[in-house]
Amino acid sequence: MPKTIIDIRNISKVYKMGTQLVHALRDVSVSIDENEYVALMGPSGSGKSTLMNIIGCLDTPSTGTYLFNGTNINELNDNELAEIRNREIGFVFQTFNLLPRASALKNIELPLVYSGVKKYDRIDRAEAALKSVGLEDRMEHKPNELSGGQRQRVAIARALVTAPSIILADEPTGNLDTKTGNDIMKLFQNLWESGNTIIVVTHEEEIALHAKRIIRLRDGLVETDEINQNQVKF
Amino acid sequence: MFNEIKESILLSIEALRSNKLRAFLASLGVVIGISIVIMMGWLLGGLDKAMQDTFSVIGTDMLYVDKWDWTEHRNWRSFRNRKDITIRQAEQLKELHGSAEYVIPNINQGSTTIEYNGETYVGMIAVGTTAENVHTPVGNLQLGRFFNELEEEFGSNVIVIGHLVYTTIFQGEDPIGKTIKLNGRPLRVIGVVQKRGTMFFDMIDRQMFLPIKKYAGIWNVDKRSMSVGIKAGLDNNLDEVRNETIGLMRIIRNLKPNEENDFSINETKAFEKTIADIKFKVYAVGIGMTMLAFLVGIIGIMNIMFVTVTERTKEIGIRKSLGAKKRAIWIQFLVESSVLCLIGAFLSLVLCSVIAYLAATYLPLYFPEIGFLLPVLPTELFVIAAIVSLVVGLLAGLIPAIRAANLDPVEALRFD
Repeated sequence: MPKTIIDIRNISKVYKMGTQLVHALRDVSVSIDENEYVALMGPSGSGKSTLMNIIGCLDTPSTGTYLFNGTNINELNDNELAEIRNREIGFVFQTFNLLPRASALKNIELPLVYSGVKKYDRIDRAEAALKSVGLEDRMEHKPNELSGGQRQRVAIARALVTAPSIILADEPTGNLDTKTGNDIMKLFQNLWESGNTIIVVTHEEEIALHAKRIIRLRDGLVETDEINQNQVKF
Repeated sequence: MFNEIKESILLSIEALRSNKLRAFLASLGVVIGISIVIMMGWLLGGLDKAMQDTFSVIGTDMLYVDKWDWTEHRNWRSFRNRKDITIRQAEQLKELHGSAEYVIPNINQGSTTIEYNGETYVGMIAVGTTAENVHTPVGNLQLGRFFNELEEEFGSNVIVIGHLVYTTIFQGEDPIGKTIKLNGRPLRVIGVVQKRGTMFFDMIDRQMFLPIKKYAGIWNVDKRSMSVGIKAGLDNNLDEVRNETIGLMRIIRNLKPNEENDFSINETKAFEKTIADIKFKVYAVGIGMTMLAFLVGIIGIMNIMFVTVTERTKEIGIRKSLGAKKRAIWIQFLVESSVLCLIGAFLSLVLCSVIAYLAATYLPLYFPEIGFLLPVLPTELFVIAAIVSLVVGLLAGLIPAIRAANLDPVEALRFD
């Protein structure tokens, strides 16, 4: 029996937009186990970004429970949520979200700074992470000296460096050309094959097909949640 | 925590470097505020030093019995109506005094003419006194010696000149043994008093000391009031000496028990009040200006920090998504505003050091009365400037830092 990492039960999320209430998520239950490769799909407005934010502990649900590795996320305060994000979740964003003034290595070190890792250890681990995405010769480059694909690799290295329980990628190929996008997806596949748990949020069918399991959302509800029989592998 | 602050300092220096002009303009208010604090401290430091110098000129263990009060200028008419202290009274005081180490009668004459080497000089002050004056601060000689008791007794033709007299008349030439003519009488220069003048006592270097009997041969001693210098010997003996002096003077001047003293006891303490007044004025003006400058400074820094927080909303979102706690975010921005202010403090110190050096070096050449200015800033001002700037930085950065720390990570990440 594989270990359950994400256990979401009947969560909803309601936003106030002026006087109107917006139900971004209505009644969503999702469970994700260790070493799964999940694509979270849906058109814009389907609630997939909201769900991603909740899975990533950037946001908390209005109702329902979210257990992360057995911890009830609803009961945590801001600092405890920050700790979970730091230790357990590796984010990869569409726009890379690297700090522009910091070198690749410094960017990767950052999560370790926040978890209080000593400097030498930090550099060792950041270098290893950069090596694992094939950018060991770009350590001192600033983001604007790197190509889009290289930036996303740095971002992936940053997500990996804390050895998190899940890697949460939000439209990771959205700002990349097809070939570079494929390279990135190949990297995710490798990471999955080496035991990582990966959740990719996307609206592109092609990207979703790389995952082992596809969850489709529509209007704040889970439309389908099934094993991808046609998984595309490199 | 320490590590976090260290990282934040490096970060903020980098951030400020990427926006030098803005950082400079933002810290301008702080630069002005701290400069005022520094200049105030510098002035007060100079005043303190001037006060110490004055005290050492007068002597902290000295009392002076005078018709006039040194610091009370408002009621000078009532002092004018007092009877002169006569040479006879001064001598009586000397004879009767038990607790004082020395009692030294002095008589001053300001309308003098000196002739030397064919030139005539006016404006110097002749002081008829006794040989015991060598035991007061006057006795600190730069050259030669003071006149002795024998010369005093005989009213010899000798004179000890003040520093300004020496530089004015002799201009570097060795004065010892030279003869000058004081109101026509030839006198041999036997000593030169060290430079003693301060802002409160600038006339003091114009003095020339000669035996009282010699003085009496030139001017009528009954025409002027004596000033009697009394050396207590030990500072802690001063109260006793003062009491005895007052008692004796009342007897000598035949005062009835219900009459007020018709003489003044002058001492260094009198100047403490004058100095305290000046200091108070400097403080009052300085603190007012400082408060205003710091208010402007804090608002300036706060404003720029709000701009910085807004500009870096995305960055804050990224940091939060990577696990930065609130503390990490507010430390980052507090450190940044503190570094900004510390840079301001550094600029102020450089600026003020230059001003202080130039002012103390060149201004007294034109305005001798401000010779008390210190050419180097007192060390404690560096510490004060650092602490004050740090406090300003923390105050100004507090609200922006809290706002940054409380940003919602989802909103912040969405920001462009």
